Amino acid sequence: MYKNFTKTCKNAAGLLLVMVFLSAYTFAQVNFRGKVTDSKGMAVSGASVTLKNNSVGAATENDGSYSFLAPVKPGEYTLVFSGVGLKTFEKKVTVSGSSVQMDASLDEDVLGLTDVVVTGTSAGTTKKQLGSYVASVKGDVLSKAGTGNVLAALQGKTPGAQIIQNSGDPGGGMSVRLRGISTINSSSEPLYIIDGVIVSNSSRRVTNAMGNYDGIESVAPNRLVDINPADIERVEVLNGAAAAAIYGSRANAGVVQIFTKRGSSGKPVVSFTTSVNLNQLRKSVGQSSAATKFGGPTDGPTAQTQDILSPALTNTTGVTRYNYWNYIFRDGIGTDNNVSVRGGKDKTKYFASASYLFNQGIIKNTDFGRYSLRLNVDQELAKWASFNVGLNYIRSKANEKPDGNSFFSPMNSVTILGNFHNIWERDANGNIKAVGERGRVNPVSVIEDTKQTSETNRTISSFGLKLKPFKDFTIDYTMGIDAISQLGNTYIPPAAYNVSAGFFGGGNPNDPATYNAALNGYSSVGNNKQFLINHEINGTLNKNIGRNLVSTTQIGYSVQYERSDYSLLQGQGMPFGGVKVVSAAATQLAPIDDRSEISISGGYLQQNFKFKNRLFLTVAGRLDESSVFGVNDRRQFYTKASGAYVISDEDFWKPLSGWWDYFKIRAAYGESGNLTGIGAYDRFNTYNINSFLGRLAYNSPGQLANENVKPEKQKELEIGTDMAFFNGRLNLTVNWYDKKVEDLLISRFTAPSQGYSSLLDNVGTVSNKGFEIMLGGQVIKSKDFTWNVDVIFNKNKNRVENIGQSLIRYNTIGGAPVALLPGYSVGVFYGFFFARDAAGNYINNTAGIPQQEKGIQTSANSYTIQRDANGLPTGANLRKVIGDPNPDWTGTLVNTLSYKKLGLRFQLDAVQGVDVFNADFRTRQGVGNGTEFAQREHNGQLPRGYIQGIYGIEEWRIDDGSFVKLREIALNYSFGKLGKSFSDLSLSLSGRNLISWDNYKGFDPETNAGGGSTLARGIDFGNVPIPRTFTFTINAKF
Amino acid sequence: MKQYKIAILAAGVISMMASCKKDFSNPNRVVVDAALSTPAGMTNVAIGLQRSYSTTRVGTIYNAVCANGFSTYELSNRNTGNVDETNLAIGGSAVDGSNNILGNLWATNLKVIFDATRVISAAEGLGDKNFASGLIAYTTIFKAMAQGSLAEFWEKVPDTAGVGLTINFVDRMQGYKNAIGNIDKALGLISANAPSTFIVNSLPAGINFTNSLQALKARYALFSGNYSVALAAANAVDLTSRSEMRFDAQNPNPIFSVSTSTNNVFQVLDSTFGLPIDLRPDFATDRRIGFYMIINTGAAPRWRISGFGAALTTPWPVYVPGEVTLTKAECLARAATPDLAGATAELNKVLIKTAASDPFGIGAGQTAYAGANTAAAILTEIYRQRCIELYMHGFKMEDQRRFGRSNAPNVEKKRNLFPYPFRERDNNVNTPADPTF
Repeated sequence: MYKNFTKTCKNAAGLLLVMVFLSAYTFAQVNFRGKVTDSKGMAVSGASVTLKNNSVGAATENDGSYSFLAPVKPGEYTLVFSGVGLKTFEKKVTVSGSSVQMDASLDEDVLGLTDVVVTGTSAGTTKKQLGSYVASVKGDVLSKAGTGNVLAALQGKTPGAQIIQNSGDPGGGMSVRLRGISTINSSSEPLYIIDGVIVSNSSRRVTNAMGNYDGIESVAPNRLVDINPADIERVEVLNGAAAAAIYGSRANAGVVQIFTKRGSSGKPVVSFTTSVNLNQLRKSVGQSSAATKFGGPTDGPTAQTQDILSPALTNTTGVTRYNYWNYIFRDGIGTDNNVSVRGGKDKTKYFASASYLFNQGIIKNTDFGRYSLRLNVDQELAKWASFNVGLNYIRSKANEKPDGNSFFSPMNSVTILGNFHNIWERDANGNIKAVGERGRVNPVSVIEDTKQTSETNRTISSFGLKLKPFKDFTIDYTMGIDAISQLGNTYIPPAAYNVSAGFFGGGNPNDPATYNAALNGYSSVGNNKQFLINHEINGTLNKNIGRNLVSTTQIGYSVQYERSDYSLLQGQGMPFGGVKVVSAAATQLAPIDDRSEISISGGYLQQNFKFKNRLFLTVAGRLDESSVFGVNDRRQFYTKASGAYVISDEDFWKPLSGWWDYFKIRAAYGESGNLTGIGAYDRFNTYNINSFLGRLAYNSPGQLANENVKPEKQKELEIGTDMAFFNGRLNLTVNWYDKKVEDLLISRFTAPSQGYSSLLDNVGTVSNKGFEIMLGGQVIKSKDFTWNVDVIFNKNKNRVENIGQSLIRYNTIGGAPVALLPGYSVGVFYGFFFARDAAGNYINNTAGIPQQEKGIQTSANSYTIQRDANGLPTGANLRKVIGDPNPDWTGTLVNTLSYKKLGLRFQLDAVQGVDVFNADFRTRQGVGNGTEFAQREHNGQLPRGYIQGIYGIEEWRIDDGSFVKLREIALNYSFGKLGKSFSDLSLSLSGRNLISWDNYKGFDPETNAGGGSTLARGIDFGNVPIPRTFTFTINAKF
Repeated sequence: MKQYKIAILAAGVISMMASCKKDFSNPNRVVVDAALSTPAGMTNVAIGLQRSYSTTRVGTIYNAVCANGFSTYELSNRNTGNVDETNLAIGGSAVDGSNNILGNLWATNLKVIFDATRVISAAEGLGDKNFASGLIAYTTIFKAMAQGSLAEFWEKVPDTAGVGLTINFVDRMQGYKNAIGNIDKALGLISANAPSTFIVNSLPAGINFTNSLQALKARYALFSGNYSVALAAANAVDLTSRSEMRFDAQNPNPIFSVSTSTNNVFQVLDSTFGLPIDLRPDFATDRRIGFYMIINTGAAPRWRISGFGAALTTPWPVYVPGEVTLTKAECLARAATPDLAGATAELNKVLIKTAASDPFGIGAGQTAYAGANTAAAILTEIYRQRCIELYMHGFKMEDQRRFGRSNAPNVEKKRNLFPYPFRERDNNVNTPADPTF
């Protein structure tokens, strides 16, 4: 098999080689020239002018002029004028002499039908021809979003995508779900491709990498944070297999393609953008103001921190209450500077940029900085050959604090502390003092002493070659390399007070005056090196078959290889005095050295027919193989078919065309896989190797692997329509989809008496069904004033169809009871709930404390409740599905207004019908700093023991996560051409995440302690809230 | 010319494309078959058994101490936020098949049984019988402890563990007998072929094979009511030697690292050892209070864990001599023809033992038994001494059943036997019904 496939690879490449030897024809050169303007008569630069059915053409210069030579015989020809955002315009010309002069005026293309979309194939196609929906977002929209993070800028701008900012840390992670969750075992993050380079979006931790730090959830930043939004020309989002099948094996979670800006002919244009921003905590949860606490000492190492949860304590002591939130938060300042040059002459075009972003977090002593340099060069070698090179060097550097999944993070060290300790007080030696008897970390230590830095050096480079061996045939080749080197240092200094060894202190809880020097303090250095290379070669043949039929045949072959090397040195027991290196640690903890290699290759063949430029049909097949699966299971074949019909182009539509300009219906079916769905070596059954008492210990893991696992397979059907009315002033797009992922890889539970507690196997099915509606309208359009409204509405129903059993429960660090149950969404919360009467009110005991529901559990989600003689619940604790982190619907409303040179844009994002597991809310009540319950119990407004009584009821932590946010608001003024020095100057003032309308009991319902995890979502556990940001920007062009 | 240029360019491109290599071997871990095919690999798997059994919050030691301790009033819960510990502290129906402490105890013991079975069957095929006997003896110690641990907490236990096997359940008494059968096999092997120095030195120091096997045999024979076998095995144990599972900084004592050092999971209840008034240790004179717990005068709680959870690398005994002595006393008292004088003599050895004369430093320092010379009274005193001498060792639930302590909820017990973990029940149709209490 393997040999056969290798042969197939070579054959595919060989075929292309043969094609290039075919000869071409030569004719006399004719010069075509002219000028292109828009409807207002302004020069259009960068528009494309080509000879129809011929590959020759040119782009317009800054003054709108174009000129090119074409080897044509005298006769009738058609010139095709097209440009981004402009309607394509065709004009017949007659060639008789050696030159042709033709000017053109192009109208705005409101529907974006001419936008070129590059779906996996080199040549691209226009949106009009597509049988599936592909969202395209322009770079200038992203750069106005007021964020330095590409994915944050994409929020609300692309249908079908749920983009969540996991954390408010300045370099914090983002997670993207396209049309719901499409896997369980591995990442549901889409595949990212930048200028043809498959890039890593790894969230490997180089800091906070200590053992047991993460469970199934990890809020680590993902590496798309390295990409500078200012370099982006446009982003294309392929939501599912129907659109992305051509990417075959890696497209299960969708594909996000980023295209960076390229050069253009003409005088160089220098653009300079500088901005300054202010980050603030949007809303605080406050802290208790109760004047007393229960029980003994009020401060110092012997104070009872968790008085509320010890109901035996009923005496009260007066205390001073503090607000620690005010201490850990601050206003952060940021700057973002970009300079770019875009230009070109003759056969060379270039785009170069340099940028520096610096952003302070709202947690003291955290920041993120990013340098980025880019050079994109396009060079024509001959009429039939051109090449391009893209180079992007990035250095990202962050000063961090431990994030959510620990109790020595800024947020959690406050959350888990009764707010009656004077945390700033020093002892006689000037040391910070212990906070209570449990060895918890004083937040002052975390803010002032814990040092954590990470830096990334990264190069994303591409090389492309485009050949036109003969008429209507092109070959192009892209090689992409993404090389990442990450270094992270974590340093928790030894504490001079009692800090639990679990938090890397050396505290002796039995004698606070002493500590264990072998444990006190922690240091680590983590290294992660990743190397990704991909080669893609494609051949495209266009043929006219008769007058009305055009055939496009594409063949391609791809090879991808990834290597990653991760290592971590760590030690505990650091010397006092600030020495940070691991080698100075008294106790060297087990180092980590983890290596992996994967390789994927595959080829595809796609055939497209275009009938009268109104009926389009595409079929394609792709064969892929991946090294992560066994020899007999690694080859997968994926098919795709799609059709589109532009009804409004038919003659019979003419009567309607006065008000209904455009009507297209489309349908697409596609398959994709998950060839990276398991780790490089997950199919092998192995022993883990550990150092133990000076010897080697082999331990078998909890999971047994089926050595013959195969990739998951997604099948998606998408049906949609695009419509435009009133000369494009109103347009509507509707997509309906049904996608199903079969052979789902699940670590299914097995009886531990089988020797393993779980089995990794292809046992499940998950489906996502839903629709997306986009409605755009130009409400007012006059000479000076325009008002556009755009609405996106998404509804997705995610459903676990089958997991091979009735219930799988997962433990999470934050205590969220995450589960999979057939018939419910992935990652629902499943746990204990309140006993209620027929009217839905809590059933309280005689003390007035609500009770947990009890009775007989008859199946995973059904039960019979029982009441004792007093009407109180009795029997076994019952569980049911108590919450769902998958929203019922999401939507966006954008208003764009412009009056002369003044513009206003604001975007509202809505996420509705979603639950958040608010772990921090409960902790705040349990330790006594919460305002909602703890303060009332301290003040005697709730019965003593109320919080303790309901503490174990998981439903108490389910919070309403629905929100509507004022995501973006921007006011800008463009001076246009200003004197001789500026060709354009604009100023803008913008705000991001300024207002949230929600009923949430925490800082912000938009939070995700699970990070990129597929299963653990909607968990609020120690996450830094997303700040509100004000930005002032100056943009100048020279 | 153009064609040649294109050909050269295209050929260059194709040669750059990497090969289609797809077979990578795992550089990070050892494949199961490879591990079990060499003596060194088998030894490492055996060492892994000790690591699984003794270390971390998932291991048997932590979970047995925790589950047993909460169910018998040995421990106090420090944080209601720890759901599983809290439910054990509540007891009764709050303890269900979802409890992760029980789940870990179940899964780790079965994992140890599973891997031990693989090592023993691989080692039986080795040519070097002196190597094999040592490896099997060491492996059997953990296999027997895992089998015993299941039988201590569940009414019926899986008869074996293995991939693809139909797992039937047998009475827990049969579970003990299975453990004894394995021990006898191992004892036979080491008496026929003494373990070589090489295998002894290849395994972690601290564990004496013969003493450990005999002490475990005595324990499980006692638990399964076979007093003559228990007495004979107990008599074969050298009471002056230590046999212990050791820890290092990377693999710390789990009681210390989870509970003692955090003061946030569980603590000892107090100096009453959670016993009814008439069974409590003498506060003023019993030196074992000071062994198993220390006083913190400053902060709550006053009584804190010490004993075998005192420090980062405090070793955990495979058995303590006091257990063996009390086993002898109990066997004599429970014999078909009770030997009350013999039982009292053994009981007194524990009562008058001083820290200096005990290899682990456990010494009651009490006076000789002065109670009634009846089997019932002597047995009650033996129970009392077991509760004190073996505090937080994880045997008290078994002792309560054997000594017929009250089954009323929340008197001396919060549970009598544990429900079967859901993970077993949901995936093995042979899983028996849960006990009501």
